[in-house]
Amino acid sequence: MTDAVEQRYQERLKRYVTTMRKGKPDRIPIRPFAAEFTAVYAGYTIQEVTHDYQKAFDAVIRCAADFDWDAVVPNMVYVWTGLVQAINLRYYAVPGTDLPPDVCFQYLEPPEDNAWMRPDEYDALIEDPTGFLYNVWLPRVSRDVVPPGQPNTFRNNMSFVLGGMAMLDYFMALGRQVDRLRRETGTVSAISGILKAPFDILADKLRGYKGLCMDLYRQPDKVLKACEALAPHLLHVAKSGADPAKNVPIGLWMHRGCIPFLSPQQFERFYWPTLKWIIESLWADGHQVLFYAEGEWNPNLKYIAQLPDLSIVYHVDRGDIFEVHKAVGNKFCLSGGIPNDLLAFGTPQDVKDYCKKVIDGVARDGGYIMDASAIMQNDTKPENVKAMTDFTREYGVY
Amino acid sequence: MTPEQDKAPERSAEKLGVSIRPPGTCIPWAEKRQELGEIKGDEELVKRIWENIDALGYTYIWQVLLSF
Repeated sequence: MTDAVEQRYQERLKRYVTTMRKGKPDRIPIRPFAAEFTAVYAGYTIQEVTHDYQKAFDAVIRCAADFDWDAVVPNMVYVWTGLVQAINLRYYAVPGTDLPPDVCFQYLEPPEDNAWMRPDEYDALIEDPTGFLYNVWLPRVSRDVVPPGQPNTFRNNMSFVLGGMAMLDYFMALGRQVDRLRRETGTVSAISGILKAPFDILADKLRGYKGLCMDLYRQPDKVLKACEALAPHLLHVAKSGADPAKNVPIGLWMHRGCIPFLSPQQFERFYWPTLKWIIESLWADGHQVLFYAEGEWNPNLKYIAQLPDLSIVYHVDRGDIFEVHKAVGNKFCLSGGIPNDLLAFGTPQDVKDYCKKVIDGVARDGGYIMDASAIMQNDTKPENVKAMTDFTREYGVY
Repeated sequence: MTPEQDKAPERSAEKLGVSIRPPGTCIPWAEKRQELGEIKGDEELVKRIWENIDALGYTYIWQVLLSF
């Protein structure tokens, strides 16, 4: 690493962290959540970046170098499907295997009447979440794992060895990718660690969305107790992957908390209490959370405003970013808000005009990070990403 | 292993009256300690290494749940 690259890294880190603490840096940091867009730009298929993580890493490095971004996620194509196949998971459709090689991976909802967790299994989950995952959940979501009490198989044994070794291999490589970004391009790793809301875990991976919706009416107390049982574990996992230097935030990916999935009343009762507790606990320990508000979250802003100042970086997807700024801009750094459809179907001038509008509206006093609304997938045009980047670097100087 | 044997560790943990698996834990030290009998050397060392290894099992299942 040359001194110049390290100096650039330090400048970017300062710019990024200052902004997330609602300070006013030298200019607006640029931190796109670039997912399958990196494949398009680097000339890979979707299958290649999803299944061969080294190609995914290379594509991120190439984007970071060419666009000169301040921070990136080391691999925003976040499901490495090599591991999916090592465990033989049922809930993904894999590009190049289950899907054409140029289609992004898909998460498959469980069958409504045969979800990964049955409606009468809440007590077992609540009593022992980790035991439930190993003994009940994993044998259902993996084609190879057999439940306790059933005859063992070679594939069952191999699933744990292959899954464990593959996970170790991937996480070690991810660590090297963070280091590589710093050494080769002077780019900051945008997040560290993972958090999900207890309610989302129930919806995404256990009961399925439809099953959980029925439970909200048929057994609401069990849903609440399950969220409470999951919360300390999700806090533990978030802390264990967090940045020890407490510079970059923990990524929180939210799916089912917003309209139309939940009403604000349901959000207040079921989704929010345990997630709020986790975020407050992390902030008490000095960790910010990247609050990735995927979808339309503005009806829930009054709840989000209850969080301690600076405890989150609020990422805006489909919500009106100007309303978000009015409601919580005095408390939290904002990011995102540049529509993905504009980046996919607009012209570079359309993108520049929209970036100007956002910068003028929410970024005058710092506390804003330039990014698209949602992760940038393979429909994003490189010339529009260049327009967003170049315009912000020029116009976003304080 | 018979189904009865497979369930044994869970029963023994319940008998101890401890939380079966608190965050970060799959097989708590209290349960593992019972299997080991007399420890002739440094018990704290054995405990620390066990807990570090056990945490990997915890990381595995919760990372499958959250990240994959």
